[in-house]
Amino acid sequence: MASPDVPVTDQPSPPISRSRSVLRLAFGPLVWLSILWIALLVFAAVFRDLLPLREPDELGIRTREVEKFESPGWNAFFGGDSQGRDVFSRVVWGARPALILGVSATMIAAVLGSIVGMAAGYLRGKVDLVTSILVDITLAFPVLVLLITVRASFGNSMLVFVILFAVTGIPPYARIVRGATLSLAEREFVDAAVALGANRRRVVLSELAPNIALPVLSFAFIGFAIVIVAEGGLAFIGLSLDEITWGQLIAAGTGDIQDAAHVALLPATTMFLTILAFNLVGDAIRSIVAPRQVLTQRRLRVSDDRPEVAPNGVLRKETAPPDSRNERVLDIVNLHTTLHTPLGDVMAVDGITLHVNRGEALGIVGESGSGKTMFLRSIIGTFALADVSRSGVVSVAGVDMLRSDPATVRRTLGTCIGMVSQDPLTALNPVRRIETQLVEPMRVHFALDKAAARARAIELLRSVGLPDPERRLRAYPHELSGGMRQRVTIAMALVNDPELLLADEPTTALDVTVQRQLLELLGELRRQRTMSMVLVTHDLAVVKGYTDRVAIMYGGRVVESGPTNSLFAQPRHRYTVALMRSVPDLSLPSHSELEVIDGLPPSLVNPPPGCRFAARCPAATDVCRTDTPIRQHVDDDRWFRCHHPVEPDELESVPVQVAGTSS
Amino acid sequence: MVIARRAARLVFVVFVVTFLTFFLLDRAPGDPAEVKAGLNATPEVVAEIRAELGLDDPLLIRYFDWLAGAIRLDFGESLVTEGFTSWELIREALPKTLELMILAEVMAIGIAVPLAVTAARRPGGTVDRATSAGAFGLLALPSFVLGIYLSYVFGVQLGWLPTIVDDLPGLNDDPLENLRQMFLPSLTLALALIAIYLRLLRSDLIDTLQQDYAMLAQSRGLPERRILWRHALRPSSLNLVTAIGLNVAGLIGGAFIIEVLFAINGMGRLTILRVAQEDFPVVTAVVALLTVAYVTVNFIVDLLYRVIDPRIRDGIA
Repeated sequence: MASPDVPVTDQPSPPISRSRSVLRLAFGPLVWLSILWIALLVFAAVFRDLLPLREPDELGIRTREVEKFESPGWNAFFGGDSQGRDVFSRVVWGARPALILGVSATMIAAVLGSIVGMAAGYLRGKVDLVTSILVDITLAFPVLVLLITVRASFGNSMLVFVILFAVTGIPPYARIVRGATLSLAEREFVDAAVALGANRRRVVLSELAPNIALPVLSFAFIGFAIVIVAEGGLAFIGLSLDEITWGQLIAAGTGDIQDAAHVALLPATTMFLTILAFNLVGDAIRSIVAPRQVLTQRRLRVSDDRPEVAPNGVLRKETAPPDSRNERVLDIVNLHTTLHTPLGDVMAVDGITLHVNRGEALGIVGESGSGKTMFLRSIIGTFALADVSRSGVVSVAGVDMLRSDPATVRRTLGTCIGMVSQDPLTALNPVRRIETQLVEPMRVHFALDKAAARARAIELLRSVGLPDPERRLRAYPHELSGGMRQRVTIAMALVNDPELLLADEPTTALDVTVQRQLLELLGELRRQRTMSMVLVTHDLAVVKGYTDRVAIMYGGRVVESGPTNSLFAQPRHRYTVALMRSVPDLSLPSHSELEVIDGLPPSLVNPPPGCRFAARCPAATDVCRTDTPIRQHVDDDRWFRCHHPVEPDELESVPVQVAGTSS
Repeated sequence: MVIARRAARLVFVVFVVTFLTFFLLDRAPGDPAEVKAGLNATPEVVAEIRAELGLDDPLLIRYFDWLAGAIRLDFGESLVTEGFTSWELIREALPKTLELMILAEVMAIGIAVPLAVTAARRPGGTVDRATSAGAFGLLALPSFVLGIYLSYVFGVQLGWLPTIVDDLPGLNDDPLENLRQMFLPSLTLALALIAIYLRLLRSDLIDTLQQDYAMLAQSRGLPERRILWRHALRPSSLNLVTAIGLNVAGLIGGAFIIEVLFAINGMGRLTILRVAQEDFPVVTAVVALLTVAYVTVNFIVDLLYRVIDPRIRDGIA
């Protein structure tokens, strides 16, 4: 027996086979209840004549078995209606037409809809256009008028109803199947099979069946519910079948709602439960095909496990010596960021300690996936949909970003930090004018009036080198080129004169000439404003040219750090060396081979113990796989974490150079 | 250019739908001449009326004659209600239907949007899970079942509101009584719409909030409320606008079941009655009006897209 004291969340969840967990998620108790309810309905529909029920049309006022408007009870479970008929037996009786109508209309609609959808998806072009116009017409056409007219012309036999509901039910199936066919026809394996001599149509068709079976089945359950509702609606208008249907029971009972509400309420509830059951089952089937994104709650927590302990195990009394505090615009001590995901905890940032002095530029370098961006996000505390906990200390201009109240954090974000992101195409809100976006932070944080904010916005745009700023203010982001947009995002970052600029690969998405211009601009702005900067990049040349100090990141940790020039002159960590060797050297002949680092950065879900780089490191030994290397200081400002650091003479044999902009 | 093409296509839809209705009603078993002539008419009288109504002309000719009149809102006389034109009958029914539609849409949007924004703020949170479950349940409630439930609770048990709209006073004469009577039907309609709107907007908002620009807005220290309402809502509302458009267009034709349930003499009841009476000029007029409404609303939605998202205006997205 598990002790109730043990919090379940602390246990690492064992890997469950995916299909089983999906099934378990999709088929909760509610869904099983729904299946049971549907089974009951089928039973009632099939065996209604054998059940010990009163004749549904037997008039209780004559036989005196059921009284007029008798209340529900043991004599008649659902009571009696205005003529003393047994409502329960009438409801049971109604199950059969409901099922016959629902099942046959749904099946015909599904088959016809699938054919239409396949044709539209496979042939595309004209057929697609015609279908979409047809859909327009169906949507514009008042279905009820069609139903009424057809019913008036052809009577109200079950057959007419089945055909009516089947035909009007076609479009959604057509849409689902068309989508599946389109995406399938574009997949590579179809091309591959065709290249091998297979018949394209046959390939698509044979692959299609398994791909559409579940979506169509899923919608069929929902479509069934729709048919039931439609029948009820028609009954209300007095146009239903010549049988006892739920719709008719409800419609007939409505008039007596003041005196005997149960006559309408009980059939209505039966219908409601039936629809709910079919919807739930349909939904469960859909979540097998497309597992519902298990949304982790968006949460940002601070978990305070030992913030005082620096990674080298030394207890730190304070985050920094008092005299240097003012100089440190950004001070980070033992920052851990953990993303709690359904697949497990991701150690995105795993104990980082670093600082940035006033006016200093710190470069953060690493491959994609080394945790650079997550590190920046951890400073500002913005994550997408994630349940995140942070621990340690992040202090910006003396403000504790983890533990201060939200208003203080927002104020610090708005007035002390500016952020430039990687992709200028997605960094600006597409539906707001440049002016609105640029002026907003000034008005929110400094309550600047409109004219003043606007004047400052123009001045800012000019300072980032955007021509004709007055006109640009009226523009929407999509009206500017990529380079211009990035200038706008830089202007937005500078809007409230921040002390710290966080730049996340600010030029990666731009072409080379624009890259240079923007980097020069950033450097110049930084000098003018004595602003500090954290520049995240994977481009060593950029780091070399535009930063004072550098931190090499790998697997959520900083593995080596120091002044930029001395670090690259004499790298000690083997990952740093590997990075430098993977940079093309323009001074070498063009056919020289470029070294690549074998393998991928480690997964940060349950990372192995020891040095994160061990798996890819040529010099790794057993100790690397068990013990996390501690910080070894070359001097105050220069350190690395490696069990087998690169010795200076080792580098002689393999020259390492960093091609770059000389500064 | 795009607008012109879209408009042409919609006009085409109007022609097809009205013609189809014309064709369908022509095939229907009832003979308008017999309807007009009454029960005891001799075959000669019926033939005379046939000629008078132009029923002996080919279908296409009759359609174009009708179309020529329809453009001037002349849909012909009612066959059943002597001395009334189809348009006069519609003009009497339309305001009630429009009022019902507007009340329902206002309630639905007014409730669904704040709920969706709150739910999207913390996906998977308490509000989100509660509203999602509520929407799922509401979607399983057909309007007549919901209407009966509401009538039972508010009308019968609590006795606060009338369960049928009886002798509805004009909105100008006695607005309070008018709204009191219209409240339950509007709420019934609105609740179903809330479920649809809430689901759409919530998921679009969640998508938007994961965009770079939404995260950058957060990094600028803007209050969350401001980011949701001013930054995320507008780019997330395209699907919502489409859904509202479709619903508005549909409801102009009358909320058939609600109108029957609450005894409102609107477009829905007019249509049902006139189909049963085989008063085909009125039916055709209603269908024409509906189609035009659908097409117009669609067109407005297209224009709204351009207002909401400037990229669509410039043909980029």
